[in-house]
Amino acid sequence: MAIDWNIKPAEVVNEEPLVIKNPKTWSHFHTYGGWGKFFKGLRQEKILATRCTNSSCAEKRLWLPPRCECPDCWHAMEWAEAPQQGKIYTWSTCLYPGELFRLPPGTPLISVELEGVGTKLMSYLKEGEPKIGMPIKAVFNTRNPTNTILDLAWVPA
Amino acid sequence: MIKFGPGNLRIPKFEKPVYVVAGGLTDFRKRYPEKNTSELCTEAMRMAVEENDLKMSPEEVRRSVNWCVYSQFADHFGDQLLAAAKIHDYLGFDPLGNIEVKTGGATGGSSVLAAAQAVASGYATLVPVVGWERMDEVSTKVGNSYIASAACKDFESELGWMYAAYYALMAQRYQYENTVPRETLAKIACKNHEYACYSPYSQNPGKYTIKDVLENDMVSDPLSFLECCVMSTGAAVLFLADEEMAFKMTDQPIRLSAICGGTHTLRTADRRPMPILLLPNETEETYKDYFTHKRHEWPGFSSFLAARMAAYLAYHMAGIKDPVEDLDILETHDAFTISDVQTYEDIGLRPYGRGREFIESGEAYFEGKLPTNLSGGLIGTMHAVGATGIFQLVELLWQLQGKWDKFHADAKRWERYGKKKPADFRSLQVKNARRGCAISHAGTGSHVTCSILEKP
Repeated sequence: MAIDWNIKPAEVVNEEPLVIKNPKTWSHFHTYGGWGKFFKGLRQEKILATRCTNSSCAEKRLWLPPRCECPDCWHAMEWAEAPQQGKIYTWSTCLYPGELFRLPPGTPLISVELEGVGTKLMSYLKEGEPKIGMPIKAVFNTRNPTNTILDLAWVPA
Repeated sequence: MIKFGPGNLRIPKFEKPVYVVAGGLTDFRKRYPEKNTSELCTEAMRMAVEENDLKMSPEEVRRSVNWCVYSQFADHFGDQLLAAAKIHDYLGFDPLGNIEVKTGGATGGSSVLAAAQAVASGYATLVPVVGWERMDEVSTKVGNSYIASAACKDFESELGWMYAAYYALMAQRYQYENTVPRETLAKIACKNHEYACYSPYSQNPGKYTIKDVLENDMVSDPLSFLECCVMSTGAAVLFLADEEMAFKMTDQPIRLSAICGGTHTLRTADRRPMPILLLPNETEETYKDYFTHKRHEWPGFSSFLAARMAAYLAYHMAGIKDPVEDLDILETHDAFTISDVQTYEDIGLRPYGRGREFIESGEAYFEGKLPTNLSGGLIGTMHAVGATGIFQLVELLWQLQGKWDKFHADAKRWERYGKKKPADFRSLQVKNARRGCAISHAGTGSHVTCSILEKP
């Protein structure tokens, strides 16, 4: 058998020292598993969190990001809606985001404090100037959902 | 809330004493296409076996090794899975056993911990720890996306694809609670960039004024470019040995009296309040006035529980009562100026809320009470992630052996890296340094190790 050498050449980026370019174009299929319920909830304008169902577990507050199992007792959790009004716990505007960032540079990133929730979800402010302690309310990207955490954002309340 | 059970705070112990005997580095560069990763690791290995005044030939060292540990943060960067096997073969250590360790930015520290566990248990008597990162095969923006893959991809990475932003969220909160003057933060950047001027290995040396730092472009408010670590390519090697092997190899072995690890949630979001874990130099009294309406919980976003946990265990293991008094030199993981201030508090240089005093007092400087990051740190010299925690300990080893000048002051060494020794070079050898500490740190504090090196 014989083959022809008609292989597509790698682009030479630099001759000395030799550096070639390896393009990458494939997709990665990201698995949400049990957490998919949260992302689907955003399509219905709901913030779905979880709570431990073990009556002897000390942690009674909601987990957001949700967890399907409780880290304190490994017991199954139940889903419940988190409040849609809260406060900014902290913020930053990132002017040089990484390659995959899909929002405009300078979009204020925030951590959100919600009543009855033990954690402080990372999110972003869709309108207004961020300030620690500022009251905010949730808004949802339901028209053309990305099915990522970007479908949830906040505006001044 | 995290509640400790009786077994959770057990102080680790080594069955056999562990020593550090030799170290090697490459220089660190933003782009290093002249050498592939295998060559970089070999260069650091050769420095370790050829230039550390060992009483054994490089060949005798090779024939004495019985286990190897490899340290690389992200397979993404090298675009080579099982890179450790390739490096191990290139270094000629086949068919000895090896293990590759991965704990993000703390990979270097954790790799040394894994090697120490092997020596301390008697599993091995001589272990090289080889670390590297090749961060120059993608653009800086793609590199930042790779690094942000080490945040939670489900709930965080999309929000910036940028670790500096995740630190900036903590920094804003820290500033809200503690209000450190921007000038104090800038001083850390100026200090570490300046010390990098005296290191032939450094990537980002520079003599900057506080004004330069304050007027520098913001990466993510409140962190400016000069306050952020570099992204590097390079390698580091450290040899760990048991007592018999250590004294056979060198007249100046340095004892690794403790190395301990702590962790905390990968997502800062998930950090729940708990009582402050007290270090040996703190009591309940230390924090009687700490909590206010602004500063109402610990660790919150202002403190790294993983660093506090690692320091707690390491200080107890090494018998350190007061770090500023008992340590002579320190290397922190100064990924960002503000995280450095946070770390000063986590490791007990000052109580929580007063970290700024460690810089403002002058203690952190050369000839201060506890000189910190004389290596130039991550801001000035390098952050080739898998090599970083190893680099810190190599620098400490040379300081404690009194060999800092040998490895930094020789004009020929600068020429080796195509550099000219600066005319205003100054020696940063700490006189009579007996005990040093290094903090290796990952994520927004997901993993931290604390190592204590001391003269035997």
